[in-house]
Amino acid sequence: MKMSASHTSWTTKFLAVVTYEILWNIRKKKFLGMFIVAFAFATLSLAGSYIASAITGQPVQQNPDFVISSNVGLGGFVFFLFAMVTVMNTISAEFESGTIVPLLAKPVSRTTVFFGKLFASFLTLLATYFFLLIYMAIGGFVAYGPQNNLHLVPLSLLGAVFSTLIWISIVLLLGALSKSSLMAALGALGIWLGTTIIGSILGALLGLGWFLTYIPGPGTSGYVGEPPPLGMGTVVSTGTDSIGPNLINYILHPSWEVTYYKLNLGGMTPGQVLWERLYSEPFSALILKSVAVAITYFVVFVGISWFVFRRAQITE
Amino acid sequence: MELAIETTGLTKRYGSLTAVDKLDLKVERNTIHGFLGPNGAGKTTTIKILVGLLKPDGGKVTVLGQDLGWDKPEVRLRVGYMPELPKLPKHLKGTELLDIYGRMCGMTKEERKKQIPELLDVVGLRERENDLVGKYSKGMQQRLGMAQALLNEPELVILDEPSIGLDPVGMVEVRETMKGISREGVTVFLSSHLLHEVQQVCTHVTILNKGVALASGTLKEISAKISGPVTIEAEVEKISEAVVKKVKELPFVTAASADGKKLLVELDTRDDVRSEVSQAITAGGGIVVSMNLKGESLEDVFMGLLAKRKEGRS
Repeated sequence: MKMSASHTSWTTKFLAVVTYEILWNIRKKKFLGMFIVAFAFATLSLAGSYIASAITGQPVQQNPDFVISSNVGLGGFVFFLFAMVTVMNTISAEFESGTIVPLLAKPVSRTTVFFGKLFASFLTLLATYFFLLIYMAIGGFVAYGPQNNLHLVPLSLLGAVFSTLIWISIVLLLGALSKSSLMAALGALGIWLGTTIIGSILGALLGLGWFLTYIPGPGTSGYVGEPPPLGMGTVVSTGTDSIGPNLINYILHPSWEVTYYKLNLGGMTPGQVLWERLYSEPFSALILKSVAVAITYFVVFVGISWFVFRRAQITE
Repeated sequence: MELAIETTGLTKRYGSLTAVDKLDLKVERNTIHGFLGPNGAGKTTTIKILVGLLKPDGGKVTVLGQDLGWDKPEVRLRVGYMPELPKLPKHLKGTELLDIYGRMCGMTKEERKKQIPELLDVVGLRERENDLVGKYSKGMQQRLGMAQALLNEPELVILDEPSIGLDPVGMVEVRETMKGISREGVTVFLSSHLLHEVQQVCTHVTILNKGVALASGTLKEISAKISGPVTIEAEVEKISEAVVKKVKELPFVTAASADGKKLLVELDTRDDVRSEVSQAITAGGGIVVSMNLKGESLEDVFMGLLAKRKEGRS
């Protein structure tokens, strides 16, 4: 009657953990709520020009680059929120609810459990963003006419997933260290606020924007061309949140040169310079740095989380 | 003697508190071994070490002949574990939970298809198999906890307080299940604070207090370790000197005395000799109204051991 261990393959166990986690993810009320919020953001992004048109009375222009420049219709804060609702419970809630006890007592290694859960989060995000992207592509076609470069849209999808994975690794790390969903959420929110708002202000005013390139989030902004009001340069963000659009732009404009400026508050008065030029770099260097930063943070944070999870003793 | 569980000098500390103190535990295969002790005795800590949830601070642990080590799924493949008041993921349906756990145990689709409905029948959850676990009552979650412990047809089943939260019928069913799987050759290691439960189902017992094993062996062996005689207290109508004399003549009786309608008989055996004593009372002209054996129950043994330990410390 005893079962043989011969057919207990690693893949079977890994996929069992993935199923366990995906079912948990998609049945979470807050995830469903987030899904609806993301669709609302995407819809707002689609309707933006029409709303502006209603206010200003200007007709809506056809925009063949709408889809390719939309970043799945999402921004950094939505990436952060998706990361939070997807993984804030992945490790910590298992400890809090006690479900970790029967799970880790099963004949599955902790490494399999950990990476199964992480892979499930990746798949959940991929599927969610895929739906959003299809929605944006169809919506963009309907709202702004035929779209250019649709073959580059998968890069936007991968970029969005990758950007979210950085935040996932942060939330996962905080959850594994604190074993508390609340601490994971608050800690991640603190980091997001720090990098996004405080970091941006300090970076722009003190001319220290370069350091934002090396931390997760929106990064700093540079211009291809001159910043307004001097010119109509294109704004480029260096951070991990913009990997998708940056990759697409690099394919479309490989020779771009990005210039960074410091905001000079004294420039508000006549005769002073509003933007003080700091330095320039090729667009390829910007992308290389943001991808390297993203990979480094992801590997380090996930590595620490895995190490902590493997050694965790279940006292609950 | 083949052992299912063997610990040598097992020690676990939480800061300055020693939860398990150099515990030597031997659980023979094909037995139902009770693990008794008051709250905080170290039972659950020991069990969590056995299933790989806690890392011991000292000592050696062997489960089914394999060194336990840390995070060794191959050992857990042969062990079923039901935690105390199992917390099962509420987002899964009963049958989904067993299916996913079954896959984690490496069961094939055919094995799962055959075994999961059978197990749900055994624990009485077949009609609720498609409900989310979150909608189950505590008792139902307890039953599902039992089912998941038996899922991979383990050689050793570790049950931590399996009767908590169950109604009387559920308790009886759990005990019958334990006896049933034991008959199939599965070793059952049962942690319980219900002494009568242990007495009803267990062949062997280890008594733990403050992380230390006070006694271990068969029920009779443990009883024999307790000093103090086993006594019979009988209520007798028409009690007389003749009745007392007849009882004293029995070879295993060391003393007998009458106090009103009460007859107190001290024995030098731990066998159940109530029928012989009853016959002697009748032969002496008395009529037995009631008769109780004292000092033989596990509760008496347990309390005796704890008392001895307290005396030893004072």
